[in-house]
Amino acid sequence: MSLPFANVKRSRKLENTIFASIILFAYQMIFVERDSVLMILFNDALVFGAGYFWYLYLSEFVNKKINSPLTVILNAGILNAVLFFSIAISSTFVEGSQFQALKGNFIFLMFSIFVLFVFICVIGYIFSTFKGLTFLRQKTESSKYFNTLITFLIIASFTKTIVLLDSDLEFVHNTFFVVTILLIAINSIKVSWIAFLVKKQKIYLLIIAVVLSVLFGLNYALFLEESIIVTALNHFSPAFTTFISLIMIYGAIYFGIIFFTALFHLPTAEAFDRKAEEVTTLMDLTKLITRVFDFKELAETITTITTKICNSDSAWLVTKNDDKFELNSVFNIGYVEAEKITNYVLTKFNYKIDEVLTLDNSSIKVEIKNDIRTFNFRSLGVAPLRVHNRTNGFLFVARKKEMAFDDDDNKAIGAFGDYAAVALENALLIEENIEKERLEKELDVAREVQKKILPNVTPQFENLNVESLFIPAFEVGGDYYDFFELPKDKLGFVIADVSGKGIQAAFIMAEVKGIFESLSKLIESPKELLIKANEILKESLEKKSFVTAVYGVVNLNTGVVNFSRVGHNSVMICRDSVVEHFTPPGIGLGLDYGEKFTNTIKELEIKLNYNDIFILYTDGIPESQNANHEEFGYKRFEKVITRNCNKGLRVLSNEIIKEVSTFSKDCSQHDDITLVLFKWKLNNKISGDN
Amino acid sequence: MADFNVNVREVGVVNIIELKGYLDAHTAPELESAFNKLIDDNNYKVVVNFDELNYISSAGLGVFMAYVETMRENKGDIKFTNMKENVYNIFDLLGFPMLYEFFKDEKEAVDKFEDKSNDQ
Repeated sequence: MSLPFANVKRSRKLENTIFASIILFAYQMIFVERDSVLMILFNDALVFGAGYFWYLYLSEFVNKKINSPLTVILNAGILNAVLFFSIAISSTFVEGSQFQALKGNFIFLMFSIFVLFVFICVIGYIFSTFKGLTFLRQKTESSKYFNTLITFLIIASFTKTIVLLDSDLEFVHNTFFVVTILLIAINSIKVSWIAFLVKKQKIYLLIIAVVLSVLFGLNYALFLEESIIVTALNHFSPAFTTFISLIMIYGAIYFGIIFFTALFHLPTAEAFDRKAEEVTTLMDLTKLITRVFDFKELAETITTITTKICNSDSAWLVTKNDDKFELNSVFNIGYVEAEKITNYVLTKFNYKIDEVLTLDNSSIKVEIKNDIRTFNFRSLGVAPLRVHNRTNGFLFVARKKEMAFDDDDNKAIGAFGDYAAVALENALLIEENIEKERLEKELDVAREVQKKILPNVTPQFENLNVESLFIPAFEVGGDYYDFFELPKDKLGFVIADVSGKGIQAAFIMAEVKGIFESLSKLIESPKELLIKANEILKESLEKKSFVTAVYGVVNLNTGVVNFSRVGHNSVMICRDSVVEHFTPPGIGLGLDYGEKFTNTIKELEIKLNYNDIFILYTDGIPESQNANHEEFGYKRFEKVITRNCNKGLRVLSNEIIKEVSTFSKDCSQHDDITLVLFKWKLNNKISGDN
Repeated sequence: MADFNVNVREVGVVNIIELKGYLDAHTAPELESAFNKLIDDNNYKVVVNFDELNYISSAGLGVFMAYVETMRENKGDIKFTNMKENVYNIFDLLGFPMLYEFFKDEKEAVDKFEDKSNDQ
């Protein structure tokens, strides 16, 4: 329920307040003597109206500060003290009975109107303080009680005026007065905000409450006496005077209850403070977890906080790394000591600690630098760092003196352990992500290197058609092919596959390219060239790396091909629609650097006939797999060649790739695919005839 | 990912490494750690049983190349047995049979080691 004029801007409220005050002032000036009860009632209504607007305006200030209730209470108390002193002092100068005599005096009139406004203002502030406190930190709806209270406050006040009409009606006023006091008592119980104060504030509140309760009581007592101010107020508005009395009673009761509540809350204040601190720290930790990526830094925060919250002497955090436990951060204990104690405890429980564990009165003997030292702990807590039913580490908390860890401590240790577990998991995930990104960057570099190494254009000759095709795998596979135009109308060619993948393979490829490019100009025989290449690679190739290759030279005038194979797949020649494999012996480059390599390698010489197709490829083609892990194999390979051997080389290579990709369509490409095709286009017989 | 498994067992002075599944760049480290452990324990006589291995990539082949020298320097060796044809073809193409001993049967390989140790 929203009150009228309550939901307007503050400046507007001030205008309303001033307007209402001016009307009241004018009414007071014009009708100094108010004889009829109706006029008095109208006057009361104006006073309450002005009071209401003052209340609305002052509530703005109170509500702004209501979250620090002590300040608001103190303000209300000071204002109340001002009322008390002004009434008390005024009564020492002038007796209430002299009022009738002074009534006609203009200066006195102005003064008493001023006093009236001061009271309206102060009561407005105090009332809004009460209202603010009643609703502070209330979880359940309590406005119903408070609104009833307000209604009765007003009725009790106005019935006082009606009593003027007929003193027999006194009992009506008294009834409402008593009911109002009952309602005040009910509303005064709403003091749950006290629980949220820290211990120091509670003690402070205790003192203020007792002073204020007494002060409000005294003020009420003063209103029963006939002091000049009270008489003047009574003359201006009997209803308002009653209202003030009720507010004073309200204050006395309310602060009395606050006093006792604060008193009863004192013993539990410390525990409550700790819980509240725990909650705030956990909230801070949550923020930290999402912000700090460095686990070490977080671990330090966690050990420091745990030590503080659990009121312990030291704490340390160990995490599991590749089945080994690693100390991450220590607080108030040496690294070596923490490590030894950790080992002792974990071995004792066989590394199986699935929930928070506390060891009481344990003395742990550990050997440090040939010196046996004993650590006496009153209580030692261990919390596992568990995520998804995996234990990734442990949080240790140790207390040397005083009390053993209680249930609350255990819960706190467990909570911090859980947070550490989440933080650790988070940090690991981020690390993994960074690593993944790094690998992707690396692969980009590898692909770039490979692209630069492979020839941009495939050379073409009158007698020899050449076609090449390369499809890289996601992880660079290390395939390499190249052509070298040699003197005496010869063409050197190479196809190679470097073992391994990625950036490593790409660098070896670059080296292999250098070797073949320079050797092709120096050594004519493929066999000798490959022996030399193997010698050179000995210097740079890792033990576990090797390179398979076929190197050869075509005579562009005669169609004679000389080639050697080292560890590479067979060379195929398709002649008259029949595919034949040529696998001259040869050990892969890098497998052996001695005689065995030299003695094994053989060189083949083949004379190509018209329309013969010479086929070089890497294992990416026969070894490509389908979803059932079946390999494409040589049969399918040969079949597609035979079927298309009479077509152009471009068509043939496209058909081969089409066949391979249809076969392995449900599987990602594991390895690079390289295909190099030659077709001899000189009809030797005709040329022979010429 | 296709799975891979390494199992090591002792037969006299010889250690048998049994391989299962798919040996490639991703699973090779498992085999490497098995070899490292053997070397740490001064076991240099190794027979690798390929009976249940379905596939080997170049990275898998590299593992044997990386360790064979150490084994041979310490009067040991790596011998291969029970290879499926498709796996053997890969070894064969590369020229491994020139450099390593291959046997049809695990026992033959173990016997070969024992003959040698008896000779000494």
